[in-house]
Amino acid sequence: MYLRVVDSKLMARSTEDLQSYLPPQFRARVFVGDPRDHGDDPDYRFTLANERTFLAWIRTSLALAAGGLGAVTILNDFPGEEVLGLGLLTLSFLTAATSYRRWAIIEKAMRLSQPLPPSKLPLLMGIGVGLVSVVAAILFAFGGAGG
Amino acid sequence: MSLSPWLAGRPHSRPGQVHDTMLQHERTALAWERTAFAAIVAGLLFIRFATALHPLLTLIGFAQVFFGGGLLIWAGYHYDELHGPLRAGQSPVHPRATRAVGWVTTGFIGGATLAATAAVILGL
Repeated sequence: MYLRVVDSKLMARSTEDLQSYLPPQFRARVFVGDPRDHGDDPDYRFTLANERTFLAWIRTSLALAAGGLGAVTILNDFPGEEVLGLGLLTLSFLTAATSYRRWAIIEKAMRLSQPLPPSKLPLLMGIGVGLVSVVAAILFAFGGAGG
Repeated sequence: MSLSPWLAGRPHSRPGQVHDTMLQHERTALAWERTAFAAIVAGLLFIRFATALHPLLTLIGFAQVFFGGGLLIWAGYHYDELHGPLRAGQSPVHPRATRAVGWVTTGFIGGATLAATAAVILGL
């Protein structure tokens, strides 16, 4: 308990230091505070469901990174493999970078009994992975593998 | 060596039955463990990728693998720890854990993306 209090204070101080260098509009958009500062504890099942959704996004991001690294490393005889790999890695980075913020916003909304805000990320993910697949199919069909 | 003295000294010992019949708690622990495995696999793939570029770059991959291993151990421990608080009606919210996983994953993937971009530009 004592350790937890000390650690959260240290974490808060370093985050504040970092935030003081950034313009206020950017600060408000990127850094969401500790959701425990707002409202009351929701049903523990909701908290755990939110946690699992966050973890599912992190795994999606890691799977995209694995796909991207795999494309760059293994597909050496595949035309345009660099473009595919970098595309997947960029999608992966976007997913990882937004996942904590999304978790905190949802946790805060649940604590305040507010409606949960929708996310554009699933749509972006669908379009992004779809694009990568189409580009891969075109490169494979017209570029010829093994060349 | 017996683990029982270690288990006995913990603040919330494991109860004889699970609190939630929908096993939300267990599903969440498994989600943490799957995430830890995914982190380890991504780290190993990065090591494979970085070996061809520069030996020092593989350190990022090793750090990620160790982070995944630590996360796996923590997830199992945390699952056991939560039985007591859940039964007592306390919130299982854990911002420190989500923040750590979010930041470490973002940092690792950012590093991997930069390294891959450099490799493509430099033609390595």
